[in-house]
Amino acid sequence: MRGVFRFLAPRLLRALIAVWLVSTVVFVVMRLSGDPVPLLLPPDAPRSEIFRVRRELGLDRPLPAQYGVFLANALRGDFGRSIHFREPAFAVVRGYLGATVELGLTAFLLAAIVAVPVGLLSAVKRNSPIDHVAMGLALVGQSAPTFFLGILGILLLALKADLFPTGGRGDWTHLALPALTLGAFAMASIARVTRSAVLEVLRADYIRTARAKGVAEWLVVVKHTLKNAALPIVTITGLQFGTLLGGAVVTETVFAWPGIGRLAIQSIYNRDYPVVQCAVFLSAIVFIMINFAIDLLYGVLDPRARP
Amino acid sequence: MIQVTRRELLKGAAALGAAATAPGALTPARAQTTQKRELVVAQGGDISKFDPHFSTSSNDIRVSFNLFDNLVSRHPDGKLHPGLATEWKLHGQTQWTFRVRPGVKWHNGDPFTAADAKWSLERTWDPKVGTRVSTVFTTIDRIEAPDPATLVVHTKKPDPLLPARLAFYGGQIVPQKYVEKAGNDEFNAKPIGTGPVRFVSWTKDDRLVLEANPDYWGGRIDVDRIVLRSIPETAPRIASLLKGEVDVITQLPPDQEERVMGNASTKVEGALYAGLYVLAVNGKRPPLDNPLVKQALSLAIDRQAIVKELWRGRGIVPNGPIAKGDNHFDAKLGPLVYNPGEARERLRKGGYRGEEIVIETTVGYTANDKPMSEAIQGMWRDVGINAKVEVLEYSVRAQKNRDKSFKGLWWSDPTSTLGDPDGMMWRLLSPGGPQDYWRHPRFDELGEAARFSVDEKFRAEAYREMTKIFLEHFPWVPVIQPYEDYGLQKYVEWTPNPNQQFEVRRFNLKLRRA
Repeated sequence: MRGVFRFLAPRLLRALIAVWLVSTVVFVVMRLSGDPVPLLLPPDAPRSEIFRVRRELGLDRPLPAQYGVFLANALRGDFGRSIHFREPAFAVVRGYLGATVELGLTAFLLAAIVAVPVGLLSAVKRNSPIDHVAMGLALVGQSAPTFFLGILGILLLALKADLFPTGGRGDWTHLALPALTLGAFAMASIARVTRSAVLEVLRADYIRTARAKGVAEWLVVVKHTLKNAALPIVTITGLQFGTLLGGAVVTETVFAWPGIGRLAIQSIYNRDYPVVQCAVFLSAIVFIMINFAIDLLYGVLDPRARP
Repeated sequence: MIQVTRRELLKGAAALGAAATAPGALTPARAQTTQKRELVVAQGGDISKFDPHFSTSSNDIRVSFNLFDNLVSRHPDGKLHPGLATEWKLHGQTQWTFRVRPGVKWHNGDPFTAADAKWSLERTWDPKVGTRVSTVFTTIDRIEAPDPATLVVHTKKPDPLLPARLAFYGGQIVPQKYVEKAGNDEFNAKPIGTGPVRFVSWTKDDRLVLEANPDYWGGRIDVDRIVLRSIPETAPRIASLLKGEVDVITQLPPDQEERVMGNASTKVEGALYAGLYVLAVNGKRPPLDNPLVKQALSLAIDRQAIVKELWRGRGIVPNGPIAKGDNHFDAKLGPLVYNPGEARERLRKGGYRGEEIVIETTVGYTANDKPMSEAIQGMWRDVGINAKVEVLEYSVRAQKNRDKSFKGLWWSDPTSTLGDPDGMMWRLLSPGGPQDYWRHPRFDELGEAARFSVDEKFRAEAYREMTKIFLEHFPWVPVIQPYEDYGLQKYVEWTPNPNQQFEVRRFNLKLRRA
């Protein structure tokens, strides 16, 4: 019990500090980036009107005072009212969360389910045509920008081949293209790392021993190799979740997917401080939680990492 | 830098798509009729608010002018027509009487009366409500509603443009009883108007669903439902049109028109923008305080080439500060002249000594802003002007706009909100206005007098003289009056409105049915 606590406590503390730092940085950067009021009012609004709206939104107060209010309210889950939508910021962000979770998880699962077997196969059949094709595709997936893949997908698979809708949210056909686009980078990275991790392990002494004692090849690969190669694969998979959150911004915009990434970008353009703060805050918490879960998973996979 | 690459790549991707969908590759010519009872519209951004007094953005305007009615309505023909008021008359200099349309009902069944109109207009400037349109009706002194069918508006001074003001933003009439009972937030979430469509549901950044108001006084619209989707990227927006997923798309860039026109089932409709794209000038900064230098700037721009190359012909060359289609536009005045030789001569006469002249541009704030800046920079360098282009982010531009701190020239797309020079040139260039960087006593005197005169002959004369002064001093260097284009399925019969309203009333929208 004590050991578990000693294992968890510093990690939890680190996570809290990270959340606090992220929200502070966002708070400061948003305020450095400009005033939302001129964007809200018609271009010919007089100065008096601008001052009135600044006062109404609490933007006339000194920065430290604004920061204090922000922090105190954020601790209670209150992120203020959206300047753009005139609704509580949290309610606005919550409305977009479902779409992002749906897209993010699908992309993530798709990436993991496709990439690990492909990477494994590539390693086992090293330098075969399968390996070359798979790693070639992985190279494309890793190097082509998301928006390019997305638009290419729309033009070829949606418009020309008429397989999927061009965008928007709806049934699974609406989900397929954006999930593939969003998952492409993660899929490629995971496949490449899986391949090299498996190759590494395949050269190990205990694999030679296993083969020497007559274990079936598939058992060697699945039981002896994959388990020992799992650590780097899990690490890269966890990290990829973070890039998925980042990639969602572009994917959601290209596919008109009503998710939190697109909301965040729009809110940055609109200088909608409360919504940006809330969206980044929640994204940071998700990212930190995933990292936390991976830390825990290390302990499960590798006895050396256990407390 | 990243954005440039990205845009270029997008263009590449679009070209690739164009190749893929060359005529014949797509589904063979879809019938030019439809059985649809639903119109799907894709615009570049989502709605932000439904309360019409809290937004002036074009994405919101497309909706609010259809959920609500104004007393006076500006049709796509650019003219004022009866709306919730059937007629109006000016008595003396400052008293306007409006006859209010009888038998009109709000979407919840309550009757609409003159009292709603009075309350609604007064709401726009009520400090307790804090609307975003509080400056629209500053000319109004007081409003009376002596009976349910009569509205009397007294203006502080003569205001020839009151009916025009009532036809644009701020003038949408909202229901007094419902708003007072439900509160502003609830009204914004579940708007109720008198307009041709009723609010059904809204999923942010996904879809807004509106349904036909069966009892609309102007007749039931031609479809049962209107769905508005927001598709921010241009290439997917066009793809959704070509694929037939949507019926109308907004913001179709000129370089993509061939794709829409080359496709068997789609077409392009455009309206000449009610306004101009100009390079506004900070006339306080030397050498831009020198009229001869500014004349040279204008003379050195080959606007025909810009229209032809960058706009694929989708625009016209302005002849001064008044947009074509507005009151007092002088059709006899020729388009602004390109004469590089004369430009050099005026630079010499003006004593220009190679001082740096900066164009501050955004990327895509107004269509083609950066490409036009670069083209103009080249044209200016050709006549010996030391021109430089600097790129700004949108919010920095907004900030500079507020602080009036632009270095030299910057892009502005003044909209003619009232169909009259007062609502454009004078609104922006008047003393204390948002683009007050240059003053001229006679120009100021005329602008002020024309604003408060109900004598159109006098006003015409005043604007003619102001144009003359303008063309000597160039507080703006007008560059183009572009078309604003939409992509449509061929079965949609609809005319765009020059001022970004999206008119779906019966007289303007019809689906050709089999």
